[in-house]
Amino acid sequence: METRVNNSLSVAQPHTKAPQWLWPLMWGALLLGSVTVMSAAEPLFRWIEPDARQVIYERTELYVLLGRHLFVVGIAAVVTIIVGVAAGIAVTRRWGSDFLPLVAQLASLGQTFPPVAVLALAVPVLGFGTLPIIVALMLYGLLPIVRNTLAGLQGVEDDIKTAAHAMGMTPRQILRQVELPLAAPVILAGIRTSVTINIATAALGATVGASNLGDPIISGIVNGNMAYVAQGALTIALLALTIDSLFEVLQRQLRTCFSAS
Amino acid sequence: MTLMDALPTPRLRWEGRHPNIVLVSFSCIMLAAFWVFDVVSMAPNRIVLGTGHGALEAFGWPGALLVTLLLACIGILAWQPSHRHYRALLAAVVFIMALMPVGLMASSYLLIDPELPQARLGIGAAYWLVLFVLLLCLVELRLRLNLTRIWPTLLLCGVALVWWLCAAFGLGALALVQEFRARDQQFLSAVGQHIKLVSIAVSVSIVLGLALAMLMRRYARLQKGAFAVLNFLQTIPSLALFGLLLAPLAWLAANVPFLGQLGVSGIGTTPALIALIAYSLLPIVRNTYTALEQVSPDTLEAAKGMGMRAGQRFWQVRLPLALPVLLEGVRITTVQAVGLTAVAALIGAGGLGTFIFQGLGQAAMDMVLLGALPILMMALVVDAGLGALAEALRPGGTR
Repeated sequence: METRVNNSLSVAQPHTKAPQWLWPLMWGALLLGSVTVMSAAEPLFRWIEPDARQVIYERTELYVLLGRHLFVVGIAAVVTIIVGVAAGIAVTRRWGSDFLPLVAQLASLGQTFPPVAVLALAVPVLGFGTLPIIVALMLYGLLPIVRNTLAGLQGVEDDIKTAAHAMGMTPRQILRQVELPLAAPVILAGIRTSVTINIATAALGATVGASNLGDPIISGIVNGNMAYVAQGALTIALLALTIDSLFEVLQRQLRTCFSAS
Repeated sequence: MTLMDALPTPRLRWEGRHPNIVLVSFSCIMLAAFWVFDVVSMAPNRIVLGTGHGALEAFGWPGALLVTLLLACIGILAWQPSHRHYRALLAAVVFIMALMPVGLMASSYLLIDPELPQARLGIGAAYWLVLFVLLLCLVELRLRLNLTRIWPTLLLCGVALVWWLCAAFGLGALALVQEFRARDQQFLSAVGQHIKLVSIAVSVSIVLGLALAMLMRRYARLQKGAFAVLNFLQTIPSLALFGLLLAPLAWLAANVPFLGQLGVSGIGTTPALIALIAYSLLPIVRNTYTALEQVSPDTLEAAKGMGMRAGQRFWQVRLPLALPVLLEGVRITTVQAVGLTAVAALIGAGGLGTFIFQGLGQAAMDMVLLGALPILMMALVVDAGLGALAEALRPGGTR
């Protein structure tokens, strides 16, 4: 049993079918193409904005902005995943069960707090720059992960846990070898929601002085240059689609692992 | 005897009343926040960054002692919680919330120099933290006392009324109040515009979503494609979608005069509404479709056996049974639209987001708050209201 469950957690399976990777590879290639050779499309943008002095956003290279965007989203994602999953585990243990009703209630509030409002409230406390956007993303991304961790762990049937207990597994072993693997698809779905939303929300950071892919959009809106807006929007959309399709593949792999074992 | 009983299980620690750890730790957090962080900040005018003041400076000895006692009282009552104690705790939490503006009045009396008419009082980190934790306490107490959603909402409305009265009559020095007084007309019209945008977007997407869900039920082939498109739309960041709509709409307005006369333009309400509707469709369609599909075939069979016609079956059986889940979709959509409308301010659609982005541009944090707080409240009110409605409409016995 142990080996099987361990197997099911490993991501790279030898017998994966190639078409699964088609979408992420395609979106990823388009994304890389758009951040490196955007200037090649100058005639197109010239057509959108014939009167502008400059139609290619050149204040910062797009791939630098992409890197900063990924950095912010990545840090926020790592922290939220650790904290969110830990919180979900803690309140479903016996010693943390006092907090369960409250945390469940809060997690079900989910996306009630609008990201703009969260960001706007973070700025007075933390000042301008990259820090408030990271904090806002953490706060905002936490709830879907906690909600799905709770749903996943609570969805594990009591009979299974009893059986594991009867096999002589310690609570720690039950958590690591039974509960978490069974809850993994639901938790992963929560992480996917959280990260996808955060990629979009991070763009708003450009309004509080954090430099990322939102920059061309904001600068384009302010200067009335639609070509800038299109470049920023296109890149963010491609990034969101790449990451989302990556998660899609991960989820499908996880699912096939379970049905195979 | 079940299998679980046969196994050695650790015994529960305390039988009966054991301390409510949640409220006790909240009480400790609030006490720590109150004494560690700045309670208020004071700035001589709008531009200068305020200086922070701790509990003693803000409230003086008697005030700080009173607040400490009140906050400690929560922890003490929660140590041996009974039903009566929980009720007392609820009263205490509401009382402290209602007392918060009075504290601000006290500190504006203590700190603000009457010689400086421009001086303004900012709300400090401790204040926000205590308020936030008090709201958490309220949620916890609602769960422990098994109250329906409506009670805390009513209590909070009462508290809000007290705050409003205090702000109107005794808190002229508070920066938030000053920002509001400087642009009260603008604020009210922004709130109106925000509500208008949200309600138009949500009602249009309800109609479109219902129609689409019906079509999907009839033509199964449509289902997969439509969900794929809607999921795709949801992945595109809001800022990007707002931005991407600018160019084609501006082009349309310039080249098709008829549309231009109708008010279609690259910047303003039209692109905002289109983007809002595009985002709202997915949750509505998904929930409507699931809601209509999940009605048990047995019930429909019974309705058919009673001699109901297809139309009757739909309107009298399927729709009422699907209504709670359908409303859940409307709730999610509306809450999401409240937040997205704030982003729409960037493309000139107006609404409360205007204050947020103007405030961020001028580094005037109180103006940002003036935009963000009502949006947050609006989202919570919509969430609570529609949630309560869905709960009330749930057919009896299935709760």
